[in-house]
Amino acid sequence: MCIIVKKAEIFLLFTHITYIYRTLDAIRVNRRAYLKGILAVGTLSITSFSVFKWVDLNKSVAPGKLWEKRAIIAELAELIIPETDTPGAKAAGVDHYIIDVMISCNPVRQQHKFFSGLQDLEKYALDNFEKDFLKCNTNEKRQILQHFADHAEYSNRILNKINNKLFGQSFFSKLKNLTVEGYCLSRLGVTEGLAYDYIPGKFEACIPLQPNQKSWATK
Amino acid sequence: MMYISDKTKELSTYDAIVIGSGISGGWAAMELCRKGMKTLLLERGRDVKHLQDYPTANLNPWDFKFGYNNPMEDQKRNPVQSTSYNPTNKHFYVEDMEHPYIQEQPFNWLRGYQVGGRSLTWGRQCYRFSDLDFEANAREGIAVDWPIRYKDIAPWYSYVESFIGVSGQKENLSQLPDGEFLSPMELNCIEKHLADSIKKNDHDRLLTIARVANLTRGWDNRGPCQYRNLCSRGCPFGGYFSSNSSTIPAAMATGNLTLRPFSIVTEILYDEQKGKAKGVRIIDTLSNEVYEFYSKIVFVNASTVATAGMLLNSTSSRFPNGFGNGSAQIGHNLMDHHSSAGASGTHDQFADQYYKGRRPSGFLIPRFRNLHDNEKLDFKRGYNIQGHGERQEWSDKVNGLSGFGSDFKAQLTTPGPWTVWMAGWGECLPYYENKIALDPDQKDKWGQPLIRIDFSFKENEHNMMTDIRNSSGEMLEKAGFRNVDTFNYKKPGGSTIHEMGTVRMGRDPKTSVLNQFNQMHEVKNVFITDGSCMTSSASQNPSLTYMALTARASQFAFEQLKNGNL
Repeated sequence: MCIIVKKAEIFLLFTHITYIYRTLDAIRVNRRAYLKGILAVGTLSITSFSVFKWVDLNKSVAPGKLWEKRAIIAELAELIIPETDTPGAKAAGVDHYIIDVMISCNPVRQQHKFFSGLQDLEKYALDNFEKDFLKCNTNEKRQILQHFADHAEYSNRILNKINNKLFGQSFFSKLKNLTVEGYCLSRLGVTEGLAYDYIPGKFEACIPLQPNQKSWATK
Repeated sequence: MMYISDKTKELSTYDAIVIGSGISGGWAAMELCRKGMKTLLLERGRDVKHLQDYPTANLNPWDFKFGYNNPMEDQKRNPVQSTSYNPTNKHFYVEDMEHPYIQEQPFNWLRGYQVGGRSLTWGRQCYRFSDLDFEANAREGIAVDWPIRYKDIAPWYSYVESFIGVSGQKENLSQLPDGEFLSPMELNCIEKHLADSIKKNDHDRLLTIARVANLTRGWDNRGPCQYRNLCSRGCPFGGYFSSNSSTIPAAMATGNLTLRPFSIVTEILYDEQKGKAKGVRIIDTLSNEVYEFYSKIVFVNASTVATAGMLLNSTSSRFPNGFGNGSAQIGHNLMDHHSSAGASGTHDQFADQYYKGRRPSGFLIPRFRNLHDNEKLDFKRGYNIQGHGERQEWSDKVNGLSGFGSDFKAQLTTPGPWTVWMAGWGECLPYYENKIALDPDQKDKWGQPLIRIDFSFKENEHNMMTDIRNSSGEMLEKAGFRNVDTFNYKKPGGSTIHEMGTVRMGRDPKTSVLNQFNQMHEVKNVFITDGSCMTSSASQNPSLTYMALTARASQFAFEQLKNGNL
């Protein structure tokens, strides 16, 4: 077992480095950034890379496991886009959208990262507030999500790019992106959260911004 | 072999056959039908009827279960096409698995096999070529000379523009001749600002509204454009030109058109005795049966890559290396514009200004490089810059806004700063080694040889991209933009969907396939007027030129036939 893991480690580390070379090439970094990238290999290996995690991440997530988390996802989406003078993510049905897109439109690795993020979040709630996430009050929930927001990204832009490419977007970034997308494409989001012009009929190139003007929902 | 009775033969005989119903095939069909010729229009894909076959045209954003994301399964099945479509227009693209091809080097062959072809999803930009373009090959000793000049095609540009309806602004430029325009769409605040800055800083440059086949008023019982900017789904208002909305119905109205979808033309048939094409052989994709159709003339409009493949597949003892291929040029000199390099930036002014309606077009900065001799650039030819200005909306903002909650929501749902994105559409030189060929062994599900595409951009194009990046960034910076980001996406060939040049026009049958009327040098009753005929690519979007060449060739073919020359 030990030997197998070692072999796998060497192989994966090699792939890992090749990936980074390619990534670096793709984003056209200069020499200094390139050297930073070499450092990134070390950093990433220590902070987020292990053979076991890698193997795990290549297994698919059963859709049922995500649907089981629907209430939590709905709650998280509402924390990101809450009801204000316009509807929030929950009313707009964003949880359904997030699960649909996560299951059907994301690579297995990204699915897994998202799912384990949810698990981490639940564990964090138990460890720090000694209750289920859904039983926490709004302020506690916000603190929990804030923790994941704070640890979502590396401060280094290149490190982030490499990490996203290798392991997928962080749990929080993905959650936020899908929440925004789901909300801004939903009926309530489009027609109430934003401004929607189904058939404009004409184009007015320069007009004064109206008080409380919302963004156009579509381009 | 198949037995064809005289009776069947009679029923299978037309005055003209047109292969392909896309933007140029639709024009050939209409022109020939209007001249009174019984015309068979063959299309390999399904029928798409104007209005009734646009299933997503009236849908709202929330009607798409996965938003604009393509499911993973779909991406796996369609690794090329899915880079271009989304769930709102996927039905106008082919399935890669069903229509494979071989990439010697990465090349995106983006296709729409249906009646109307890619005229349903085209970018609608309409720019005339000029003598700067038609004379370039001869002047620089590159490839072969175009057998036409601007004066030969100018009246046909006018003819086509007057029919399809092109909105645009006259600018009186020699490198980008004016056309017959409907009133132009308007530039927004930031675009006007950029236009003023460019005018002030460089008298060789200007920024004008895009010239597009979107109607700013009712035209030919179509339109006007409703400013929904959902063109690629098919327009329920007929607000833009497509074969489906315009030329095919016009051809049909003459009573002379027979439209036959589900018909893959596998080869053109050569009559050894008469030294002419006698017709075509097709596979009916519904029944898998083989049919032959006969005609006095054949127009080939199957699209650049497919046209060359079909000709190479049409062998006979007279043409063992492909139909009319004595020059051995068929398949070679493949071109595609590059559109990878450019710049974007944000601007702090005009925070109190917005717009209403979704203009289905952007702006154009016409070519300004190598207009004069001795410019001392490290590349030949030039590029035009296309782009658009807008205020940042939710999709542009999501990654830049930190945090979450009500403040985040408020910022997300209000207009952000003005931005401009622009990129250079650049000329690609014709290189003999950029080519398509037939694979000797591998076949598709109809037993037809797979096409191999071997294409890459070379030094001239790469040097031009660097210049585009620099010049775009400079223009934005001079206009006071901030966060100016210059880029080169390094998209593979084919990505601009402007394939051209595999069956080029020229003066000499030894070095070219078609003459100045798009007539095959070696087979006088065959005319080829899709992108394959192009001798050079210029930098203008090419569809308008295909249409003008098609109308011109149709007139010539008709006269030749009438005079007994074919």
